[in-house]
Amino acid sequence: MKLLNCPINGLRPVEEFAYGGELRAQPDTAACTDAEWADYVFHRNAAPGLKQEWWYHVPSGTWFVAERNTMTDRVERTYLWGEA
Amino acid sequence: MRLPHQPGEWIKRGSRVSFSFEGKTYSAIEGDTVSSALWAAGVKVLGRSFKYHRPRGILSLANHDINVMVENGIDINMRADVLPVIEGMALKAVNTSGSVARDYYSVLGWLAPFLPVGFYYKVFHKPKALFPFWERVIRRMAGLGVMNPKAPRVVSPKQHLHCDVLVVGAGPAGLSAALAAAKQGASVILADENAQLGGTLSYDHAGSGEALDLLESLRAEVAAQPNIAVHLSSYAAGWYTDNYVPLVGPQGMSKVRAGKVIVAGGAFEQPAVFRNNDLPGVMLGSAAQRLIHRYAVKPFQRAVVLAGNDQAYRVASDLLAAGVDVAAIVDLRQDGKGSALGDIPLYSGYCIEEAVGGAGVEGVRICPWDGQGKADLSRAVFIPCDGVAVSVGWAPAAALLYQAGTKMSFDDACQQFVPERLPADVFAAGRINGVYGLQECLADGERAALAALGVAATENLPTTAQASHPWPIVEHPKAKNFLDFDEDLQLKDFANAAQESFDNIELMKRFTTVGMGPSQGKHSNMNAIRVLAKLRGEPIAKVGSTTARPFFHPVPMGHLAGRTFHPERHSPLHGWHQAHGATFTTVGVWQRPAYYGSDKAAAIAAEARAVRSAAGMIDVGTLGKFEVRGPQAGEFLERYYTGHFLRQRVGSTRYALLLDESGVMVDDGVVARFAEDFYYVTASTSNAAAVYREMTRRLQTWGLDATIVNLTGSYGALNIAGPKSAEILGQLTSTDLATLANGGAVETIVAGAAARVINVRFVAGLAYEIHAPAQTLPQLWQALFEAGQTAGIKPFGTDTQRLLRLEMGHFIVGHDTDGLTQPLEAGLDWALANDKAFYIGQRSLQTQARKPLTKKLVGFTLEAGAHPLPEECCLVIRDGNIDGRITSIAYSPTLDKVIGLAYVAPEVATPGSQFSIRRQDGVEVSARVTATPFVELA
Amino acid sequence: MPVRLIKFALSKKHPEPPFFRQPDQLKSSYDAVIIGGGGHGLAAAYYLAKDHGITNVAVLERGYLGGGNTGRNTTIIRSNYLTPEGVAFYDASVKIWENLSQELDLNLFYSNRGHFTLAHTESAMRTMRWRAEVNKQHGVNSEVVGPDDIKQACPEIDLSCAGHAPILGALYHAPGAVARHDAVAWGYGRAASNMGVEIFQNTEVTGLDIQHGRIVGVQTSRGNIKTGKVLSAVAGFTPRITQMAGFCTPIVIHPLQACVTEPMKPWLDTILVSGSLHVYVSQSSRGELVMGASLDPYEIHSTRSTLDFVEGLSSHILDMFPFLSGIKVVRQWAGMADMTPDFAPVMGLTPVQGLYLDAGWGTWGFKATPISGKTMAATLASDKPHDLIHAFRLSRFAEFELTGEKGAAAVGH
Repeated sequence: MKLLNCPINGLRPVEEFAYGGELRAQPDTAACTDAEWADYVFHRNAAPGLKQEWWYHVPSGTWFVAERNTMTDRVERTYLWGEA
Repeated sequence: MRLPHQPGEWIKRGSRVSFSFEGKTYSAIEGDTVSSALWAAGVKVLGRSFKYHRPRGILSLANHDINVMVENGIDINMRADVLPVIEGMALKAVNTSGSVARDYYSVLGWLAPFLPVGFYYKVFHKPKALFPFWERVIRRMAGLGVMNPKAPRVVSPKQHLHCDVLVVGAGPAGLSAALAAAKQGASVILADENAQLGGTLSYDHAGSGEALDLLESLRAEVAAQPNIAVHLSSYAAGWYTDNYVPLVGPQGMSKVRAGKVIVAGGAFEQPAVFRNNDLPGVMLGSAAQRLIHRYAVKPFQRAVVLAGNDQAYRVASDLLAAGVDVAAIVDLRQDGKGSALGDIPLYSGYCIEEAVGGAGVEGVRICPWDGQGKADLSRAVFIPCDGVAVSVGWAPAAALLYQAGTKMSFDDACQQFVPERLPADVFAAGRINGVYGLQECLADGERAALAALGVAATENLPTTAQASHPWPIVEHPKAKNFLDFDEDLQLKDFANAAQESFDNIELMKRFTTVGMGPSQGKHSNMNAIRVLAKLRGEPIAKVGSTTARPFFHPVPMGHLAGRTFHPERHSPLHGWHQAHGATFTTVGVWQRPAYYGSDKAAAIAAEARAVRSAAGMIDVGTLGKFEVRGPQAGEFLERYYTGHFLRQRVGSTRYALLLDESGVMVDDGVVARFAEDFYYVTASTSNAAAVYREMTRRLQTWGLDATIVNLTGSYGALNIAGPKSAEILGQLTSTDLATLANGGAVETIVAGAAARVINVRFVAGLAYEIHAPAQTLPQLWQALFEAGQTAGIKPFGTDTQRLLRLEMGHFIVGHDTDGLTQPLEAGLDWALANDKAFYIGQRSLQTQARKPLTKKLVGFTLEAGAHPLPEECCLVIRDGNIDGRITSIAYSPTLDKVIGLAYVAPEVATPGSQFSIRRQDGVEVSARVTATPFVELA
Repeated sequence: MPVRLIKFALSKKHPEPPFFRQPDQLKSSYDAVIIGGGGHGLAAAYYLAKDHGITNVAVLERGYLGGGNTGRNTTIIRSNYLTPEGVAFYDASVKIWENLSQELDLNLFYSNRGHFTLAHTESAMRTMRWRAEVNKQHGVNSEVVGPDDIKQACPEIDLSCAGHAPILGALYHAPGAVARHDAVAWGYGRAASNMGVEIFQNTEVTGLDIQHGRIVGVQTSRGNIKTGKVLSAVAGFTPRITQMAGFCTPIVIHPLQACVTEPMKPWLDTILVSGSLHVYVSQSSRGELVMGASLDPYEIHSTRSTLDFVEGLSSHILDMFPFLSGIKVVRQWAGMADMTPDFAPVMGLTPVQGLYLDAGWGTWGFKATPISGKTMAATLASDKPHDLIHAFRLSRFAEFELTGEKGAAAVGH
C-alpha cells in the first residue's frame, strides 16, 4: 500500500492514517452572508491538483498537513500545523 | 511417451505418483504437472473449450491459457499445466457434460453459425417472459468449475517482507540482475512463478547443453549470495503504490515492500491463427520444449514446426534431439531466415492453412501465402503429423509495468510493445524490453540492476529485430481459426465486432470478450490488437492496448484474506460481568453487558425494578473521557460545544452538546469542572475516538493554551442509580453527597481509591457516575456491590439502561437522532448558548433558524392494548403522508404503559395531541404526545 | 431456438448493422451538447430525441463509449432507499428497467434476483425497518425479514459470519436486479444514434463558452461547437467541468473499487449487501462473483487499485461464505465516484443558464441510468427541473435542505 511520511513518525503505511479533508479557511462567522457560509460548509473545489490536506496518524494521535497532488497521489511534503 | 533422462529435468525418476483423471488412473513421476503426466501417458484430449466445447490439449504449458482446467470436488478451476501431481488426486475436466472424452455440449460447435460474436445481446429478450428461462440456460452453460459449499475454510499465512531490490522473474535476465544487485550489497528478493529457477534456460536448449551449463553456474552463484532470498512457485500478483508487490505462493502471500523493482518476467509466446489451430497436438514451441526438458515427455511422434521467427529453429533442434520426426519446417516469412536443419524440408513463405483431425491433429495443409492472411490453395501440400510446434512471436509479460504507470510503445523492429518511459524506482530487463538472445538478456539484467542502484546508467540494449512475426494470421472461409482460446473467439468475430461499431480497443474487448477470460489476454491480446489495427487501417501504436489490472494470475480468496483478526475491547470489569451471567452486546469493538441472565425480558424487568425501587449499577467504562487543562481550557470548550463553560462553577457539571459545522448533532456528554483550569469531559462510547480526534485538531488551529488527555481506555467508570444510591455510596466515601445535588462534581476518595464523582440524572432522578483509573474499578465496583446488598442493589446492562433513560425522557444521539437532526428539532434550544461569539455549528443554525421546523422530537404514550408493539422506525402518518417516525419505544413496567419518543409535525407536538403510527403490519396505532420525563423524579 | 439466430446462420456476410454512426467531424453547432458518453449521457440523448423530438444533439465522450463508471460498476439495481424522494426516483427507474431490453431491442440481461441488505446489529435492523416502511408507503416491495428467510434464499451463507457478526435479519427488496452494464450504454447509444444523435468518442471538452451567465458554446479537442444547451453527465470528471463553468459543488472524487472471481457454475441466485462487513456480492450470468466494498477513504482522481481493498473484501466474503477460500479473484479495478455529503445526486439547473448538471452519483449511479436520462432530458428541454429531481437540486446545500439518504447507502450499491 501507499506510504505516507508522518512528520513525527516518519514513513508509515497509509492504513495507519485517517484523512481529514482539505485545509480550508473558515470565513468570519460574524461578517459572512448565509450564502458564503453554506458555500464554506458544503462546496468544494474538487478539481484535481495540489491540495493542502489534513491527515491524522491514528496510532500516535498526530495531526499534520500534507501537500498532495490529488491526481497523481504524490505527496510533495508533510508538515505540522503552524510549521508551513 | 516418456523420454530417457534429460539433463536438468524437473522430475524425480525414483518416485512415482498415482492419480486419476476422468475416472482413469495414471502413473506419474514426482515433479510432473497434471498436463505433463497425462501427455506422457498419451492422453491428448485434456479439456473442453468454454463456448463450443471443442477438444483441447496443451497450448502453453505455462498457465498462459486455460485449455486444461480441472477440479477435484473441493478445489475448482485448477490449472493442470502447472498443478503438481500429488498422490491420490482425483480430477476431472471442468465444464463438460458427460466426460471430457465425450462432451455432449460439443453440439454447440455445430451451432456455431447461429452464435456469432455478441449473439446473446440480440436474442432471448423477446418475448420478455421467456428471458428467465434463457438466463437459466446461459448460467448453466457458462461458468467453469462447480463450487462445493462444504469446502473447508483455509486460513493462509501472510507475511511482510522488505528488500532493496525485488527481481520478478528468474530467467537469464532476472538471475543476472539479482546477482549484479547482490554484489553491490543490496538485499535482493528473487521471485519466480516456476518450481525452479532458470526461465528459458530450463527449456530453450536448441539441442545443446550450453543453456544448462549456464543455468547450473548461475544457480550456484545465487546460492552463494547470502543476500538473495529466492521465492519459487511464487508469482508477483500485481504492482501497487510505492513498490508494494504481493508474491503469491502455494501456501500464502508474501507482501514485499521493495526499494526498487526490476521486472524481468519475460514474454508470453503467442499462438498462430489458422483453422483448427486449437486441435490437441497443436502447441506453442516453448510448450514442446518444456515437455522435453522439464518433464522428459516426448511431445509428438511426427511434428511440423510453424516458424514466424528464428526461435522456431531452436525448437526444431530440440525436437530432433528428443527423437521427434520433424516432417517439415513451415516458415511464414518469404525469406525464411533460418537455414534448413539437415534434411528437414523447409517451406519458406508458406503458412498452415488448416490443421486436420478429430480428437487430435492428424495432419496440416500448408500453402504459399501473401503474408497478409490469404493462402494460395492451388499449391497446397498435406503433411501428416500428430503435432505442430508453433513459434511465431511473443508478447511481453508487462502487466506489472502497466500497473506501475509505465508508458509502453510499440517497437516496429522487434514487433512488440516495450517500455518507453518507466516510473521512478521501477526497471525492466530481458524479453520485456524486446531483448532476445541469451547474452543480451544477461547483459540487460546487469544493466537494469546497476541503473536501479544508481551505480551506472547505460544505454538500453537494442531490441532484437523480428523477434515476432507481424501477422501470423491466416483467414479461412470456414473459420474456427482461434485468437482467444479461453473465450473461443475466431478471426471473423473481430471483423464482425468492428462492423457493429466496436472498433476501438476497449469496445472491441468488451463486445467480443477477448482477454476477459481467466487468462486475461496473455495469449490473445497481441493478435487482437494486430487484427484491430488492420481493420482500422492504422498502425498498432495508434490502436494502443487495454489496461492491465491486477492480478497477474488469479489469487485465491483464502490467500487474500489470510488470518483475520477481530479485536475486542473489554472493560476492567469484564470478568465480573461474565461471572455474574451477563449477556453481552457489541458496541463498536467493545463488549458491554446488555442484561444479566438469559431471559431478556425478565432480566430487564428485574433490573429496572431494582433501579426504581432501590438501586442499580452499570459499567459505563466505555465512555469517552478527556481531561482538558490549561489557562484556555474553558475557552476551548466554549468554542467546541454549544453551552457555557467559561463561567461554569468549579464543582459543577454542564451538558455538553457537540454539533458539526452544518449544525447537525454529533455527540453529547457531560463536562465537569474540577478547577479553574481543569475540566473533565465525557463523550459517548461510539464517538469517543472521533470526538477526541477533532478536539485535538481544533485545539491546534485555534491556537489555544490548553492540553487534552484521552483517558477513555485508562479510566473506567460506573453509574449507581436509584433512591438508595446516595445511601449506598455514602457508606464508601467521606464526601457529603448532599453537596453534589443538582449536577455537582467532586474529586474524592471512594472505597479507598481516588475517584471523580459526578451527579448525573440520565437513568434516574438520583444517580452518581464514578470515574477512576481502570485498575481500581474492580475493587470500587465490588465494594459498592457489597455495600448495596442489603438495599437490594442489582447490576444492570445497556438494554435496561435504554428503558430507564426513556422513562426519564432522555434521547440518545444516534438512536433518536440521525445524520440530519439539528438541535431545535430535538427540543434543545436551552442547550444553545447563542450569546457566545462562536461555537461549532452556530453559524449554520442561524441560517436554519430562519426556516420553520418540519418536525419535533416528542415523548408519547400508547393507548392500552396495542399488540404487537410498533417497532422503532415505524412511521408517523398524517393524511396519508409521512410526518416522522418513532425512534424509541418500550413497555415500561414502572408505569405499566408503553412509552416512546417520536418525530411529529410541529403543529402536533403539544402534550395531549393525538397522532398515528403505522405499525409494521400496516395497522394504524393511535398515540398521545406526553410531556417528559414519564416517571416522577425519584 | 430463438428464430432470430437463424439469420446469422443463413447470411454469408455478418448481417448486423453498426450500433451507431461515427461522424468524422463535429458540426459547428448543435441544439444541445451532452458531455459524457456513458449510460447517463446516452440515455439523456435518447430521451431528448424520443420524448422531446430534439435530435440535433452531439454526445461528446473523452474516451470510449461507456468507459467511465458505466463500465466499472457492480451492476446492482434497486429502489430500497430511505427517503420518499429517493424511493420515488429509483422506483421510477426500476419501472423503466423492467422493459428496457424490449424498448431498446438489446438484451441487457436485466435479471431480477431479489436483494438482501443484511443487518448485523440492532441499530442496523432499525434502519432496515425505517427503509421498509418508507418503501411500503410508496408501493415498493421491501420488507424486513429474519435469518430463516435469508437462509432459504441463500442456503450456503454462514449466518453467524464466522461468529463475529451474526446476521439478525435483513431488508429484503424483491425487485432487486442486476444487468449487463456495458450493454446499457450500447443500447441507449444505438437508439439515440438511430434517431439522429451524433456520438463522438475520443473527444474531450477543454472549455465552456459562457457569456453573461449563459452558455453559448463548448470547446473540444476536435474543434469548437456553438450551442445554447449543455448537459454535463461525467461522474468522476464533474469537478473539472464545474471548474470550467466557474462554480463549485460539494462533489468530491473518491475511488470506488470492485473485483471479480473466475467463473463457476451458478449457485448464488440473489444479491447480498452487508453494511457491517462492508461488502456486496452477486453472481453474473457468466458465473463470476462480482464484489465490491466501501469507498476509498481519500480523494484521488485515479482508477488505481489497492491490495488492502481486495484483502479486506476477501476476508469479509469468507466470513459469510467460508467455502470460497479456493475461489480465485481474477481482476480488480476502480471507478471515480463523485460523492456528495448527503448520498444523493446533484441534478438540474446550475448558476450558468443553459448548463445542466447530472452528477453526484457516488456509488448509486448505475441503477439510476434510465430515470436520470429521462428526467435530465425533460429538464434540458423545458429549462425546468423535472418533478422527480427537485430534491436533488444543487441549491439544496445553500438552503440547508440536504436529503436524508446517508443511512441507505451504507456500503452503497
